[in-house]
Amino acid sequence: MTATTSARIREVRRPGAANRRPGTPTALRWELRKLAAQARARYTLLGSLLAPVLLVLVLDGQQRPPKDNIYGRHIHDSGYAMPLLVLGFAAQWVFPLLTALVAGDIFASEDQHGTWKTVLTRSVSRTQIFWAKTVASVLFALSVLLLLAASTITASSLIVGRQSLVGLTGQLLPSHAALPLVLASWATAIAPLIGFTAVAVLLSVVSRNPAVGVVGPVVIGLVMQLAGSLGGLDAVRHLLLTTPFESWHGLLTEDRFSGPLIDGLLVSAGWTVVCLAVAYAVLRRRDITGG
Amino acid sequence: MHPILKAALTGGLALAAAASLSGCGGTGVTRPRLESALAATFANLYVQQAGILGYSGVSVAQIAASAACDKGGPRVADAGPGADWICLVTFTDHKQGTHQGKFEVQAKSNACFVAGGPSKLVGLTTITDTHGNDVPNPVFEFDGCFDPRA
Repeated sequence: MTATTSARIREVRRPGAANRRPGTPTALRWELRKLAAQARARYTLLGSLLAPVLLVLVLDGQQRPPKDNIYGRHIHDSGYAMPLLVLGFAAQWVFPLLTALVAGDIFASEDQHGTWKTVLTRSVSRTQIFWAKTVASVLFALSVLLLLAASTITASSLIVGRQSLVGLTGQLLPSHAALPLVLASWATAIAPLIGFTAVAVLLSVVSRNPAVGVVGPVVIGLVMQLAGSLGGLDAVRHLLLTTPFESWHGLLTEDRFSGPLIDGLLVSAGWTVVCLAVAYAVLRRRDITGG
Repeated sequence: MHPILKAALTGGLALAAAASLSGCGGTGVTRPRLESALAATFANLYVQQAGILGYSGVSVAQIAASAACDKGGPRVADAGPGADWICLVTFTDHKQGTHQGKFEVQAKSNACFVAGGPSKLVGLTTITDTHGNDVPNPVFEFDGCFDPRA
């Protein structure tokens, strides 16, 4: 390149913001655009919107309610019981799977397609790419949660009704008190969901394999469920990422308790920070030569 | 060091550190917590059952329910989750008669429980309300949760 052409390029670029290096928001916008174009992400969002309606219809038609799960026995009594049953069920493996569908793939797909070099030769740093992909995964997870909650609660209150709900101390919660509690219960899933997103990001970065990134968090979630259901492992139970998914129980008892909620927030934050830190360190130190 | 190894090591160390810090151990499912939660839940649901059956003047205070629980017989410590909890529930009915019944309680590690009482005391799965409809009996079998550290 001659001095004149490079000078001309510099001249063309100088005016306005186009001169600056693109920031993390630009990288994030691109990641979101890539997600929006991805069939898997679209279908997941669509499924989160439609599947709960179907589920509520099927459960409502059941003569024998699923009594093994909490609130299963009340699904015909109140439209607020079904969202809580679905919340308890989703925590078992649905939440880890839904977030991992994107977060477990978002780094590894660059390996799979051999596009790391292409992405990094653009004028964004690895740090910016890391945060753009991580934030995109978290936004996707939150969208899925929002859609699931809205769809389940709306479908259930329309199909079953808005009767008063039996609380977890047997007390009756009138409809106007039950709705905020159900919404708050769903909101408690945010923290552990972000935690599972971080686990999926870590697996995605480290394994460089989308299959591991997607299936890994589900398996980890199931193993944690199993460990948490055992007696005598209470110290371990507090540290599991699946325990915060049950912290909403404290909102629905007569004397509310928030200990598990606060612990859940701390534990989720811990998992998120550790997983993201390791993922970041691994990605920074990686020798990207192929692709 | 291989990145996977490093990641596993870091995560493991962090977990172990946190575990040793929190190391309080012990279970959240204890006899006093289960007894008070079971009695409170039973009382609330019994009031609802009385409402369905059309008995008047039944309140939580009037029932004065209490529970005495035991896990797995005298040789087993009365703490921890399990399906072998037996609780003796004592309460006063709407005619001021005192009743006692053994409830089978399945306590879970997440501080929730499922309790079922004897049919001759709490009635069958469904009961007939004042309009003659069969409705689920709220005290036949019920769920409850309690604060694992109250």
